[in-house]
Amino acid sequence: MDPAVIGYGAFAAVIVLLALRVPIAFALAGVASLGTLLIFATRTGDLMLERAIRPTTSLVFSNSFDLIHSYDLSMIPLFVALGHIAYRAEITTRIYHAARVWLAPVPGGVAMASVVGCGGFSAITGSSIACASTMGRICAPEMLRMGYDKRLATASVAAGGTLGSLIPPSVLFIIYGIFTETSISALFLAGILPGILSLAGFLLVIFVWVSRDPAAAPRYTDAISFAEKREAALGAWPAVLLFVIIVGGIYGGIFTATEAAAICVSAAVLIGFLQRRLSLRGLWAAVRETCLQTTAIFLIAAAAKIFVAFIALTGVAGDIVGAVQAAELSPVLLLTAIALIYLVLGMFLDPIGIMVLTLPLMVPLVETYGFDLIWFGVVVIKLLEIGLITPPVGLNVFVIAGVVGREVGIDRIFSGILRFLSVDVIVLILIMAFPILSLLIPGSM
Amino acid sequence: MLHRLEKLLLDLAAVAVIGLGLLITAQVGLRTFANSSIPDAIVMVRELMVAAIVLPAAAVTANRAHIAVEVVSNRLPSRAQDALLIFGTIVGLLGLLPLIYAGWREAYGAIAEGGYFFGDLNLPRWPGRVIFLFGITLCWVRLALMLATDLGHWRRGEPIPAAEPVHRVEEV
Amino acid sequence: QSLFVGEAGPNRGARAEALQWFVDTAEELSGGDLSLDIQWGGALFKANAALSGIADGVADLGTIIAVYFPQEMVAYNIADLPLRNPDAWVGMKATDELIRNSEAIRENFAQQNLVYLGTFTTSAVHIGCSGATIRTTDDIAGLKVRGVGAYGDTFREFGANMVPMSIYDAYQGLDTGLIDCSQGYSYAMAALKQQEVIDSYTLMNWGQVGALGVFMNKDVYDGLDASVQDALQQAGEGMADELGRLITADNEAAIETMREAGVEVVELPEEERAKLVETSEQFIDEWKERAAAAGLDGDALLEEYRGLIDKYTQIRDEQGYPWENS
Ligand code: NA
Ligand code: NA
Repeated sequence: MDPAVIGYGAFAAVIVLLALRVPIAFALAGVASLGTLLIFATRTGDLMLERAIRPTTSLVFSNSFDLIHSYDLSMIPLFVALGHIAYRAEITTRIYHAARVWLAPVPGGVAMASVVGCGGFSAITGSSIACASTMGRICAPEMLRMGYDKRLATASVAAGGTLGSLIPPSVLFIIYGIFTETSISALFLAGILPGILSLAGFLLVIFVWVSRDPAAAPRYTDAISFAEKREAALGAWPAVLLFVIIVGGIYGGIFTATEAAAICVSAAVLIGFLQRRLSLRGLWAAVRETCLQTTAIFLIAAAAKIFVAFIALTGVAGDIVGAVQAAELSPVLLLTAIALIYLVLGMFLDPIGIMVLTLPLMVPLVETYGFDLIWFGVVVIKLLEIGLITPPVGLNVFVIAGVVGREVGIDRIFSGILRFLSVDVIVLILIMAFPILSLLIPGSM
Repeated sequence: MLHRLEKLLLDLAAVAVIGLGLLITAQVGLRTFANSSIPDAIVMVRELMVAAIVLPAAAVTANRAHIAVEVVSNRLPSRAQDALLIFGTIVGLLGLLPLIYAGWREAYGAIAEGGYFFGDLNLPRWPGRVIFLFGITLCWVRLALMLATDLGHWRRGEPIPAAEPVHRVEEV
Repeated sequence: QSLFVGEAGPNRGARAEALQWFVDTAEELSGGDLSLDIQWGGALFKANAALSGIADGVADLGTIIAVYFPQEMVAYNIADLPLRNPDAWVGMKATDELIRNSEAIRENFAQQNLVYLGTFTTSAVHIGCSGATIRTTDDIAGLKVRGVGAYGDTFREFGANMVPMSIYDAYQGLDTGLIDCSQGYSYAMAALKQQEVIDSYTLMNWGQVGALGVFMNKDVYDGLDASVQDALQQAGEGMADELGRLITADNEAAIETMREAGVEVVELPEEERAKLVETSEQFIDEWKERAAAAGLDGDALLEEYRGLIDKYTQIRDEQGYPWENS
């Protein structure tokens, strides 16, 4: 059987299974395992199932186990724990109270503050998932409690989380830099303006949304005295302290971005205990909650990793890129085709998997067109970030869904995401049309 | 019985997360203030990650907290929705089989060959692999039990009871 | 026949070019009987799963980095030892001859369902520092260092505080001052633009990390025609010359780039290097113990390996590198 046929069939099977409400982790792992078995069993032309079992199980195990057995990803459960602990220690409530009091005149001000917070958090973590899970835990429940539209409260943070890889530091830029032998520091600098542009786009979405539907974001209508404002601001000090510790620690050379998660958790626990707002019982509950949530997310990520290895076997990525190459498109059409490829793959696969599958083929192709690889890197990362919030497999959306629990369904979040996606596409076109947006800062250094 | 085992594993996972936080914090502290380090800290973090991520799998399953896309199924009558729920469980039972078989092979191999992580302490390879196998297997058992009960409801023409989390965050 | 090649690294750089050369050469030598499809970037398996990935047939052949498999690859690990073995080409030729001709090592690989095809190297381990300069071993104490294998362990003996970190994170680590120094290979440091963040680069001329190469699934290999097997072996043997040429040029260019960026390039004096070599003896003894546990005679292998290093050093000194003559 032609591996590519198995590959395309697998994409179709995943869509069908997901539509049938099969849990995402099971659908991805099941289809990938079966597809891998088929490929190994039919390699020599005859069907040899028995011989296929060993390579299939080996592929399935190493890809899922290695994803979990990871030092770098330890930041994800820890950042999720930080969100829960900060919530129970009332650190988040206080910063939200401050945001609400200070931003009372701004329609949708708290949602905007959340997105800006995502941008700030992006500066300390290299992972969009970590960004979405932490900020999601901190922001979404507070906004829901204030009576924000459920779609706005969740989608704004899911979208804001995608700033995590555009604003440095960024794991995705590091991997892109390795694959293209471009300067990682130049890539980091190149991501800054597009990151800010994306952030501005998200703010615009919130502004328009709330202007058209004021009920989506309840306003704080009481009269607010300056004393009240000052008290609210002062009450937010633990959050400010946490931020100072983390930024100072990373950029001051005391700990790495991975270690920052653990330091933050320790600091939040300490603050919570010292302020007598966090009890041992509360801490324990926060950590148990963390476990239930991160497991659900990691099971999907591990299954997606198996799916990527399976897709590598099918040669589908090479197929698609080869077709684009053979078409000898004009530069504009080539960029359009590339964007479509990444958007479609982004519907199913995780960003790192997509890069590993496509960059070895894509980069030589774009080089023949004389594209600047730093700028192209920003385009790719932006496309991959969009993939994190597109259905059916949108990891950032799942992260937020895990945080808010049964209160807001995934479909509701995706329907809110649509508005942010439309602006994301405009930002993407701007980034593609004006390379200077990416190259200005690295060029001036 | 299974419920208590799930709770125990969830608690162990929570201990692993706390362990992650303490271990990495201690590592930073030692480096900053004592110019020293914990031997093989990275290996220990990795092994703890397996415990933190895989051990709660059965509890997540029992809570019916696996993430799924519901946009199509929500428009169906409830009996059809129940059928899809059962179908999803069956796919899960099949989808986890290769992982369990592979996990067993790996765990067995790591114990039989005495594999270790090269480092200061040469820590053994088997704990993470055994934990992985155990967590996934228990998740499978939970799925099988759910399938049995759900099928029972289905046959009797009853709706499958709305999912109330079995494992709650706050312990009484 | 179409075979999958698993490679954990990217498709750029000297090693990628050498692997591509191996694939092209093997295909050509097989007269079209062989078609090799490289999966880059660990799409099939990461470096730490390469051994089982190849032995189990996830890929038919691929790169194994022995650092990840100290037990299974103990014989091959000899190329990672801190011996006086700083020349990339000499090291690869010596390693290749040792591994290719040892019956005991072949048997050891065969038991793991593996066949050795050819070797790579990452080339000599040197060290770049920010805000510090290593001129003598006395300068090492108190530095926070990202280390490489036994070279890092030896630095610890001299009082360095070893900070575990990947080479990709080293740039930021050096930039923020989280680490003072990072051990690495010249071409890789330049590729990651570390000249932007280091002030000094000390050439240790001490040893290399050379235990990485191409292995094949034995079942698949045994099923090939003898002519195809020959094509793979011949291409594998040629990798040393090809990568030697590429990596030597890249390393020289990298050091030039560092100089241009204002990095002070320091040669470690011979008597200081001798101290490093002496202190690292204990790690060679450790390796011998592991070799003995695997039923291999470590002393005999070391003696043979050192002899081969001398042999190829002499060939290099008398005839120059092979690519300089053609
Ligand atoms: Na970031
Ligand atoms: Na998506």
